[in-house]
Amino acid sequence: MATWMRLGAVFLGALLVQLTVFVDVRIFGVAPELLSLVAVTAGFFVGPERGPVIAFAAGLMWDIYLPTPLGVSAFTFAVVAFAVGSLNEGLFHETRSQLVAVCGLASGAAVIGYALLGSIVGESGLIGTDMVVVALLVGAINAVLAPLVAPLMVWALSAEPQR
Amino acid sequence: MALPQRSIGKSRHRMVLLALTAITLLSLDLSSFGPLGTAQRFVRDVLDPVTDVAGAIASPFSNAWNAIFDYDDLEAERDALQLELDELRGDAMEVESEREAFRALLAATSIDYIDDLETATATVIRGAVGNFDSDVITIDKGANAGIQPGMAVVTGAGLVGRVERADGATATVQLLSDSSLVVGVRITSTNEVGIGSTIDGDATVFQVTQGLEWPDENDPRPLPEIGTVVVTAASSRYPAGIPLGRIDAVYPNPDDPLSMFVDVALSNDVTDLEFVTVLLAEGIDQIPLSEPVPSTTTLPATEPTGDGATGEGG
Repeated sequence: MATWMRLGAVFLGALLVQLTVFVDVRIFGVAPELLSLVAVTAGFFVGPERGPVIAFAAGLMWDIYLPTPLGVSAFTFAVVAFAVGSLNEGLFHETRSQLVAVCGLASGAAVIGYALLGSIVGESGLIGTDMVVVALLVGAINAVLAPLVAPLMVWALSAEPQR
Repeated sequence: MALPQRSIGKSRHRMVLLALTAITLLSLDLSSFGPLGTAQRFVRDVLDPVTDVAGAIASPFSNAWNAIFDYDDLEAERDALQLELDELRGDAMEVESEREAFRALLAATSIDYIDDLETATATVIRGAVGNFDSDVITIDKGANAGIQPGMAVVTGAGLVGRVERADGATATVQLLSDSSLVVGVRITSTNEVGIGSTIDGDATVFQVTQGLEWPDENDPRPLPEIGTVVVTAASSRYPAGIPLGRIDAVYPNPDDPLSMFVDVALSNDVTDLEFVTVLLAEGIDQIPLSEPVPSTTTLPATEPTGDGATGEGG
């Protein structure tokens, strides 16, 4: 199966779980952000060259269901994946603990980036203390989920050329 | 391991292209570029049956989660309902009397907003999907059932929100709890018209903040009474006469003693909806709260109702 088909399957699976399970299953009212996690792991595994493109596509899919204008999540995810890919290649070795830490921090950063960019384009109510709480909780939950999502992304990206 | 210079340049080049793509999409979406909206609707419509199936598969897990982690809430809710039921049984006569009074009030103010309009009853299929859109629900009827953006969404108790987006089989509803949703209202006892919205963080109170004048000492007009029913105004973007709730407090604007604030206790609990009715009358676009409103607009007592949302007030 081609890489784009595998990625499409992972995106669709993440979107469906987000739209069905995580509408009800929330921790302190906050849902995990699976598509953000997919975007971060893409940056982690394939680096700053292809990672942002994959993250952009994941964000675009999520944007279709969010009330913010199309492109807010896509751009945010791409920037975060670029940062993760660049830092990861330049500084670290790939270990499970590193994956968990990077996914937690980057997912939290994606929430803040989404809120900031959303506010810039005119959406109200995104910036406030809630944003910090949501960012912290999403970061923590996504860090826990990272080891579950990572194998799926490794499978989806297995046909990608190594960086 | 440091990145080769060529790879860094290529990745930055791609990021610039992605940024430009995002800016283009944002610009087109913000300017309501038709084909982009159509494409998004198409994707949602295609995925809708898949989402339904996935929802059916996931529902046991979601139910189990709710049963485990919301058990205390359910228990508290059950106790509260039991208490309420006991009170209702004890005060049955009083309740019946109040109901009669309410019917009389509805008749007196011609609140028959549903009778004259075509409607579509829908089930709420999900609440917020993201972490920042808690004032949005999705219903299981859409453009195929005649639903269009801007239409009023109600329950038997009154207004709950407006249709924000209509796909083929589903629609997204912006709830009244979103303080950016402004509504033009009429106080039934005085016929004064104003504009308001809910307060940030409190989905139970609607605050009328524009259009009402605080009477001075020599002004013979009475203040609106506590408990007075507040309905959508004829100049509102919704059909006139849809109840919102009853007046809870009346006080002068802290920043402008010449204007009046009115707090309305909403008759609906918009945080807990299962079924809603969409009034199939065309709505109009959102009007920003900052738009100036003539002070103390008073409608004649014979104001027509149920005539669709055609005005340009709030």
